[in-house]
Amino acid sequence: MDQVACADCSRKLSSSEAYELNRKIYCGPCVQAAAQRAKDSGQLATITRYVDKSICARCNTYIGDSGGVEMGPVRLCGPCSTLVEDWPYPQWLKLSLAAFLVLLVFALIHGRKYFEAGKSLYRGEQLIEKGQYQQAVAYLKETLKVAPNSDKGALLAAKAALLSGDLLTASQALEGHEGGKFEKSDKPEFREVDDLWSRANRAMEQLEQAAKLDEQDGNEIEAAKLVHGVAALYPQLPHMDVLVDRYDEGVAFVKKDYDTFISLAEKDWHIMPVAATASALASALACKYAVTGDTAYRQRSEEMLAKARELAQGDKETLARLDEFGERNRYRLESRQIITKNEYDRRFRSANSATH
Amino acid sequence: MFFIPGQVIALLTFPGVIIHEAAHLFFCKLFRLKVYNVCFFRFGNPAGYVIHENSENFTAQFFVSMGPFVANTLLCVVFCTAAFLPVWELQVNDPVAYFFYWLGLSIGMHAFPSKTDLSHLWKAAPALAKKGNLLAIISLPLSGILVVLNYGRVIWADLGYGILVGVLGPIAIFRVLARV
Repeated sequence: MDQVACADCSRKLSSSEAYELNRKIYCGPCVQAAAQRAKDSGQLATITRYVDKSICARCNTYIGDSGGVEMGPVRLCGPCSTLVEDWPYPQWLKLSLAAFLVLLVFALIHGRKYFEAGKSLYRGEQLIEKGQYQQAVAYLKETLKVAPNSDKGALLAAKAALLSGDLLTASQALEGHEGGKFEKSDKPEFREVDDLWSRANRAMEQLEQAAKLDEQDGNEIEAAKLVHGVAALYPQLPHMDVLVDRYDEGVAFVKKDYDTFISLAEKDWHIMPVAATASALASALACKYAVTGDTAYRQRSEEMLAKARELAQGDKETLARLDEFGERNRYRLESRQIITKNEYDRRFRSANSATH
Repeated sequence: MFFIPGQVIALLTFPGVIIHEAAHLFFCKLFRLKVYNVCFFRFGNPAGYVIHENSENFTAQFFVSMGPFVANTLLCVVFCTAAFLPVWELQVNDPVAYFFYWLGLSIGMHAFPSKTDLSHLWKAAPALAKKGNLLAIISLPLSGILVVLNYGRVIWADLGYGILVGVLGPIAIFRVLARV
């Protein structure tokens, strides 16, 4: 079965060296001539390798000339033909597929916290793009709980916090990222946050400076200038407009422009009705009463001070400040003399008192 | 460009080879084509193969040839999505996530159909495309691109594709999810 004979020269040759043309077997040298003859006589001249159909094309088992199953150009034994008709998935492949599914389920369970953190990250990013910085901070804080070392998370959280005037969260986001270290500090995202952070810090320093100046009489104009500078440098600081007004009220006070003082205090009281703005309005109204003698101003000043106390209920520090201010305001209303806190302290309180 | 023998790459990314051949086998069985031999993985070139009968049915040809491309791409996206956030965005040192990323990239790297598979489609598609066969119309540009990418394997086009799918896929998914 391994030896076949050439149809032209009758030479015996191995079946692996034989060719087939129009159902006849040829050796290598004869097959070309036979093909040419076939072509000349108008027959097909397709030469193919001879396939010994007495052995299974897959497993080489002898199946004789009539055994097995013919499949196209080849003949296969029974088991091989069954296999070829419906090749089974190997057991290990099925088990691997099952393991794959288990892995996938595990990946979903294991990655759930990352999915949530990632979702918050993208949501935060989208809110920043829309300019909704405060809402973005809330989402990005959730991200940083899971991934404090995420460059993107930390920088976005810091950016959103800085743009909403929340310096504490910005600081926590940056410090929480490997102690404030960022490897890719040349990235535009980093430079943007770095710039915002520097501006915010310069603004805070200037505010501190303004507060110190404000403690001393005669520096009100300089302090107000500094605070106006802060507003330009870092306008995102919360209640910046009220803070600017608060210093402008100081300027109005020293210039004895009590109408402006009242107007600013009135505006701030409407913007932010808290104890501090109520007491500022009480102070402005007391000044106006002192210069006009119109009791309507006095009455409203007293009402605003009472309102301030009402709003400060439970806040011991603010109540203490209001007690201190109430004493001076009473003096202003009773004496109709307008003096600064420092002057009042100098006249009526301990000589060591340094604050107002 | 550095050279790493194909056998080493195949060994490092063997799950992709297995998935690729399993997808071939799946579609052969689906279209009831005779399968003469299957090798899911070996140290050789090619690293795996499925020898099956040729089909006159273009739909069968298309799915048997392109099946692994679709299956490997989808699984690459799935596993990379599971790992993308902790590895890329959140920068969490989670070994499980890195394992999934390796798995995803390994699968994605072996998405390209072989040149033989593509040549069958390339030969059969033009005539059918003229008759308006949608699969043939799709397969013409797709086969063209994939043939070029197949040649690009020498410059790591397969790895590039894996990374592209493993990064852009999850980004797209999470961007959509974030809007929900």
